[in-house]
Amino acid sequence: MKLTNKLLQINPATTQQKITRFIKDYINKTKTKGIVLGISGGIDSATTAVLATKAIGPNKVLGLYMPEEETYNKTDHKHVKLLAEKFKFKLKTIDLTQTLSILYKTIPDYNPKDKLSRGNLKVRTRMLVWYYYANRQNRIVAGSSDKSETMIGYYTKWGDAAADISPIMDLYKTQVRQLALHLSIPPAIAKKPSTPGLWPNQTAEEEIGLKYEILDLILYGLEHFMPTKSIAKQLHLPAKTIATVKKRWLQTEHKRQMPLTTKLQYRTINADFRLARVTEVV
Amino acid sequence: MKEEFKVALAQFPCKIGNKRHNINKMAKYAQQARKQKAAIIVFPEMSLTGYTTRDLTYELAEEIPGPTTEKIEKIAKKENLYTIYGTPEFSEKGKGILYNTAVLIGPEGYIGKYRKMHLPTHSVFEEKRYFRLGYQTPVFETSIGKLGIIICYDIFFPEVTRALRLQGAKFIICISASPAVRKKFFETLTAARAIENTCFLAYVNLVGIENGLQFWGGSRLISPSGTIITQSKYNDEDISFGRVNYEDLKPIEAFVPTLRDLRPELYASLKELSENL
Repeated sequence: MKLTNKLLQINPATTQQKITRFIKDYINKTKTKGIVLGISGGIDSATTAVLATKAIGPNKVLGLYMPEEETYNKTDHKHVKLLAEKFKFKLKTIDLTQTLSILYKTIPDYNPKDKLSRGNLKVRTRMLVWYYYANRQNRIVAGSSDKSETMIGYYTKWGDAAADISPIMDLYKTQVRQLALHLSIPPAIAKKPSTPGLWPNQTAEEEIGLKYEILDLILYGLEHFMPTKSIAKQLHLPAKTIATVKKRWLQTEHKRQMPLTTKLQYRTINADFRLARVTEVV
Repeated sequence: MKEEFKVALAQFPCKIGNKRHNINKMAKYAQQARKQKAAIIVFPEMSLTGYTTRDLTYELAEEIPGPTTEKIEKIAKKENLYTIYGTPEFSEKGKGILYNTAVLIGPEGYIGKYRKMHLPTHSVFEEKRYFRLGYQTPVFETSIGKLGIIICYDIFFPEVTRALRLQGAKFIICISASPAVRKKFFETLTAARAIENTCFLAYVNLVGIENGLQFWGGSRLISPSGTIITQSKYNDEDISFGRVNYEDLKPIEAFVPTLRDLRPELYASLKELSENL
């Protein structure tokens, strides 16, 4: 297999059709009234929101924009408003600054210097609000995680990936970009550098240390059982770079699964209970 | 025996575990098929229960013949139709011995069953976890000729269809639950099996979404020359009708005489080679 960008090309129209069909079907089967999702102004949440509006109609989609003082970004705010206006879904802005400040004070061992733990706290606080609306209004939460970030575990456990469905989780970031442009998401949003928004001026590519165009090809190779050496050779990269990505992928499996338990009984949750999501046994 | 008859291909999204709903769907389509004067109606793999039944398979499986065959017999009798559907089956020898089975019922009652020989257990499939392999390739004598049945992944193994054809089945039915990413394989293989065996082939695939898997439908009746006689919609519930006319076999059997040209001596070496992979 030759690792070129061609491998990552998708048919955006077919992909849109499959994902919207999936969203609509899940809403129907779960008899829920719509979708709630976090909107950040970035490409992943924008794409998920637009797919949801195409699947079930904009009136059934609620976007929650939850800025906070430390990471507030005017451009993101502008993009969020632009997106909601253009695609006509409901948008609520909830400022989390006060909530977080109280939360920081409430935790006895809170350490402001620990950027990661504080950042994760922000993300998980957003998740609490999504699920409040989901409960209150009988909605499901749509996650916006893509395949690149999910594979390398570049997200907050039980935070931004916490959801009932993740419509774009089988698309690499570069594929999400293709889909976003096809959906007429403004290029200013689609081409903006991604950020998890944990602290100011954080960008994903800088932190991961690779451009998504390269990371996605590495992940594509790993997905297709390619040996690390072959990937490195083809992409003209040091084998160490590929090994680092592979390590990130394997070491973060705990984030992608339900909590591990030890087997004590006849059938064990997650170990050998195997059930479909939606069943109708009568 | 009828030389010419109409075939109904009915694809519908199953409700997982809801047999009543799924049987009602079959009854509705059987009624439509009778109105169109079809002689046989075919439903997808595991159409009684849905495909992704997972652990529920143990409680949904039935003995065959059993309670559901009795219900389908009533439908087949009322609508004067041969009916093929898919179901999990448990053996009369033990409730933990399960098969992925296709059942054939005619206007006269239960005729027989085929137990899937090749159980996919890779990628998203986990059939060997639940099912035992089938070991027989039966053909069924009916008023519309000898029928042979295969199930989904069996189509990747040409020897099953060949065994049915060599027993005289000129009409092969493949029931399936194929998710969308595998569409291209099935579109190629269904035509290949019909051409290489000079037989008619009906392929009926599931539609709908189960556990994130999108089944692509696209059921079809294929002529011995590989032409699509009729095709159902992709992805949506649908019924389509096409005609089988055994007379059409004559010219193609003379034009591409694959059965005449078989080389039996190859089969002994194939057995040996496949035992030593």
